[in-house]
Amino acid sequence: MAATITASAVRTCFGDGPATWDALRRGECGVALLRRVDPRRVGVAHGYPIADDRPFGPGRWLADCVTEALAAAGVDPRRRRVVSLVGTGLRESAEVERAALAGAVDFPAERLHFGPAVAGAAPGVGPVVTLANACSAGGHALALAQDLVETGEADAVLVGGADGSSASMLAMIGRVAARPTGRVRPFDTDRTGVLLGDGAVVLVVEADRPGAGLARLLGTGLSCDAGHETAPDRHGILRAVHDAYRRADRRPEQVDLVLAHGTGTALNDETEAGVLAEVFAGCEPGPLVTALKGAVGHTSGGSALLSVAVAIEALRTGLVPPVVGLSRPTPEAAGLRLVRDRAVAAAPRVAQVDAFGFGGLNAVTLLETT
Amino acid sequence: MTTVHAVPSPATAGFRPVAAVLSVALNVPGLDLPTLLAGAGRLAPDAALGTRGADPDPAGGPTVPTDPGAGPGGAGAPGDAADGPGWPAERAAELLGRKGLLAKEPATRFALCAVHRALGLPPKAPRRTGPADPRTAVVVSSNLGNVATVGDLAGRLRDGGPREVGPLEAPNASSNVIAGAIAIWFRFGGPNLTVCSGATAGLDAIWLAGLLLRVGRADRVVVVGVEPDDPQARALHAARRGATPGRPLRAGAACLLLGPPDPSERPLPPRDPADVAGREPALPDPTETPERPLALLGPVRDGTSFGGAPVDEARLGADHYGAAGVVHTALAVRLTAGTPAVAVRCGDPVDGVRETTVRAVPR
Repeated sequence: MAATITASAVRTCFGDGPATWDALRRGECGVALLRRVDPRRVGVAHGYPIADDRPFGPGRWLADCVTEALAAAGVDPRRRRVVSLVGTGLRESAEVERAALAGAVDFPAERLHFGPAVAGAAPGVGPVVTLANACSAGGHALALAQDLVETGEADAVLVGGADGSSASMLAMIGRVAARPTGRVRPFDTDRTGVLLGDGAVVLVVEADRPGAGLARLLGTGLSCDAGHETAPDRHGILRAVHDAYRRADRRPEQVDLVLAHGTGTALNDETEAGVLAEVFAGCEPGPLVTALKGAVGHTSGGSALLSVAVAIEALRTGLVPPVVGLSRPTPEAAGLRLVRDRAVAAAPRVAQVDAFGFGGLNAVTLLETT
Repeated sequence: MTTVHAVPSPATAGFRPVAAVLSVALNVPGLDLPTLLAGAGRLAPDAALGTRGADPDPAGGPTVPTDPGAGPGGAGAPGDAADGPGWPAERAAELLGRKGLLAKEPATRFALCAVHRALGLPPKAPRRTGPADPRTAVVVSSNLGNVATVGDLAGRLRDGGPREVGPLEAPNASSNVIAGAIAIWFRFGGPNLTVCSGATAGLDAIWLAGLLLRVGRADRVVVVGVEPDDPQARALHAARRGATPGRPLRAGAACLLLGPPDPSERPLPPRDPADVAGREPALPDPTETPERPLALLGPVRDGTSFGGAPVDEARLGADHYGAAGVVHTALAVRLTAGTPAVAVRCGDPVDGVRETTVRAVPR
């Protein structure tokens, strides 16, 4: 079984989808000073912000993506059974913080989830379900979206991911960083930790139509480490990987490209590089590996879908953007075919996308050219 | 707002179950379910529920029920722990054991207590060890579980900067902390979802649980609805455009243990050897799964209207918000002891409405 991704819309620190792809292709880094919080209060000075400081940014960026993706897919929710699953790490937690500091709630609390944002941009849409699934939320939403179209429960699913940053989460990433982080450097020996990126992504998933759409969605494996709240676990990640390959009916040697989770933290990168080396052991030459967070930051709930959107562009154009911020790979990653310094032309056909989150939540997606 | 009412028998024609309810438990401080049901004029619930729960406190139960609808005489019957009065957060260690509980928020504690009860574990039962069970999924519905922590962190950061917060608070800053904690506590390694879609979240969670079963992503799903009632949660709950005046937020959790409607018709998908090599079998412990389901759940439907007299609303006297769909499905399971089918509805005028039907298992 498979499904078709028929549209993609993106918002990052670089702008919309085409602007983001251009920047990634050129190896640009979108890091900047944080815009909406005081660095002295959270202990983190940098991020990958979108230049939009009004409240409820994530919902607004998401709604923009919904509008764009629906138009691109030619899907009218008033005429077909369309539901929406939105993955997020923090929801609109920045507004919870604002209300707590003000001692008053000055907004309708329905806006803490993304139902109003999606429904406003997609008149006629059915249930809009927000999944707070940490940094792999978008991958979880994508897995369930494929299930819904494969079982015929929906004609199309608007799969969203959206996150901004909250002071509380910024403070946490600052506290766990080895030293202040000026930029994200996935798989680099000198990596110091992760930074948050603003972003939203919407994909439209419809029933399998070989030859049509942007890419074939082959399958997403899900697992929970059930081990540690914040540290990744090799066994748990491998369960998601194997689940993905079984659902997609593919083998590792068929994969040409990996979009790694690559957060630039000590724990993630070491664990993920080890898992990739294990999964692709014996594959010659093995897939190209890239990662986006050095360019756009960790877009949390949207990060899995952003990786999928970029994988789609790579499958369609044959061009793979480099890992921004990588100059000296760690020993664990040294055996991987990491794309460095500049984009490479490779004509990949099958791509794997990794996403791991707090709570030990793993989602691994496989997709291929139409 | 959630409503629960009996459905006339003809409505059960063509009933297509999507899940079997294997176990049910509540942990709602102040709510005594047997008393509530008796007071509602329903048939007294049979022993199908709660018989596997242990008495949490031989000294007489954790709280005295304070529900306005509760009548005298039935409160907190010892030995009826799975749906007797719930453990308050500050006493959760008496059921769960103390280890690992210190940094847990009230909502996480309510949720862990509800799961503990649904699994029929005795107080302070030894925690499961060994590899995680990859075939048991967790789906949590909660909108306000961590808002107190998020607000508190923001206040401390404003007043004292980053040194005022510790990295051990990181899990609570993420909105999926409850589902992650359940998975770790009970070693559930299957898909792990947190639904926070507002007033419909409880039945949205049950909808997705049914999907996980249908497509073979799990053999059983632990569904938990939970909300706290701290000041921050109450303020947000009251600030909804869809709020009903006079129905305050009530803290507590409910847990449903769901399995495929007919396990014999649903062979297990082939497992990857890496899942099982060298490990103990991951099948549910037979002592954890009743031989016969308590009830069957129908598909969750997207309601088209909002209205009708909510039968139990006045009696419940409070709103479980994101937990409501799960709390009231648990209640409906109890009602099927005396009624062939019970309809459950949750939602509000802004978030929309979801409905499902809980049906007694044909004998």
